[in-house]
Amino acid sequence: MKPILVVGLGNPLMGDDGVGCAVAECLVRDPRLPEWADVIAGGSDLLRYAGLMEGRRLVVVLDAIQDEAAPGTVATLDENAAGLEMRQEHAHHISALQAMRLLSMTIPADFLLLAISIASAGIGTDLSSRVRDRLPAIVEKVLGEIEYLGAGKLQCS
Amino acid sequence: MKAIVIEPLARVEGHGGITVELEGDSIAAVRFDVFEGARLLESLVRGKRYDEVAPVLSRICSICSAAHCLTSLKATEKAFEVTVSPQTERLRDLLFLGENIESHALHLFLLALPDYLNAPSATALAADRPELVQLGLRLKRLGNLIQETIGGRAIHPVNAVPGGFGKAPSTEQLTGLRTALLEGAKGSSAVVDIMASLPETDFCRANTVYAALNSPNQDSYYAGDKVVVFADGERTAVPAADYRTLTNEEPAPHSHAKHSSFRGKPFMVGSLARLTVNMRWLTAKLAIAAERLRLHLPSDSPMDNNKAQALELIGDLERALAVVEQLLDDGIEDERPVPVQPRAGTGTAITEAPRGLLIHSYTYDAEGTLVSADVITPTALNAASMETHFRRLVEQCPERTDGVLAQRLEMLARAYDPCISCSVHLMRKR
Repeated sequence: MKPILVVGLGNPLMGDDGVGCAVAECLVRDPRLPEWADVIAGGSDLLRYAGLMEGRRLVVVLDAIQDEAAPGTVATLDENAAGLEMRQEHAHHISALQAMRLLSMTIPADFLLLAISIASAGIGTDLSSRVRDRLPAIVEKVLGEIEYLGAGKLQCS
Repeated sequence: MKAIVIEPLARVEGHGGITVELEGDSIAAVRFDVFEGARLLESLVRGKRYDEVAPVLSRICSICSAAHCLTSLKATEKAFEVTVSPQTERLRDLLFLGENIESHALHLFLLALPDYLNAPSATALAADRPELVQLGLRLKRLGNLIQETIGGRAIHPVNAVPGGFGKAPSTEQLTGLRTALLEGAKGSSAVVDIMASLPETDFCRANTVYAALNSPNQDSYYAGDKVVVFADGERTAVPAADYRTLTNEEPAPHSHAKHSSFRGKPFMVGSLARLTVNMRWLTAKLAIAAERLRLHLPSDSPMDNNKAQALELIGDLERALAVVEQLLDDGIEDERPVPVQPRAGTGTAITEAPRGLLIHSYTYDAEGTLVSADVITPTALNAASMETHFRRLVEQCPERTDGVLAQRLEMLARAYDPCISCSVHLMRKR
């Protein structure tokens, strides 16, 4: 069991909403991915992957965020991040942040969210050009975070 | 004029929500708007090969991905007149059961319970009553495990293909599933205890028309080609191919989803409708549980959909175990999918997704290229019924303050377990 699990969330049918998934797919093919990290290109329900988180030291979640930052910006957040919607916003779905809080109750791993700022989310299988053009830089940034965070976790073990 | 607007139901700004307009004691208007993403995704599959359709349309919803995938396959197979093996039918049944367990556990424990217990969210509830959230998460994971074992992965099943399954689960996998289900079934009594302890929420009483799949063996979410509509004690059967005589969709000027009605009346789909139409689903154990939950069928309270989901949840755990044991007793065959020969034609499939009837209807050309697709989700079918029930709730509410109305309307909306624009899930910074 590898100590780090990276889960890319998103819906590839909804434009930039699928950026977490797209980045995860890039990571899977990237030779620079550390050997101690597993990567899943998932759907939009983080809770579904609970079974794959057992025994990990760190779970890194990649997800889209609509905010004022430039598209392609990657921000590091934990489950207590301020300013993000935490109220029950959806009738039958809970946000990645809520899911991280719930999962941390039952799984003894650390959870971290890498939020990727997007330009738009609408019907369509392509990322917007503003996010697509930034994809290599996003992957670079995410790889750097995984390397840094993972090394810290492995040192602690 | 006073307006109460509830928009937290939607993830897409400006799409979805409830608006109530009051003029003194009179109700000027009650409107429910729902964003219907599934309709827009139909355009993405036009022109695709038959084996590319299900993987795309399973992405309509992350919670109901197995239902969309299997309903899509069923429609394609009907268009090509393909008959799958009995083992495939059983495995598809099991996949549906897994999804229903997962979805109902999520809805009841993480979305509905916070409403009943005055917690603003599942995370807030988890702080006060961790045992409730942990039970919900355990049951949800059990549903996920079933889907992972049969569908090949936790979400958007890749193992389900036209004609069957790419790979049948092994005896070892099914044995592991049986062990997990036996363990999970121990949570059944707790589900009933918790639901029976909740306060009654009879703030909307209405004579309701129900519609549900009527499968040949009465207990399948997947098999069957006939819908039964239950209205005022009368049952009317509608064949799948005639689904438009059931839906009679009409544009609603204030809603992004069309409104459906049968013989001029909106109808409700989902767990409560399933139990009403298929009362024989109630085993002796479930009938006792229904008594404890004070659920009497047919019900005149749409809030009872939560109780019906609880009954289905414990019933599905038993049914899933029975299917797994049957598969083990018969011996699992390492069979390949039935060969699929494309032909020009139309196929319509109706199944029961966790939140109600799901319709996929496709037309293919002779080469197996999709010419047209019609996907009607349970939430779209429920839209007119929800709006009617919101109005009844406002009419019957003795205290029409903003806070009371908003809380009750949100609870009723959530009891329907709607899927509103769930194809988008992103976070938003305020």
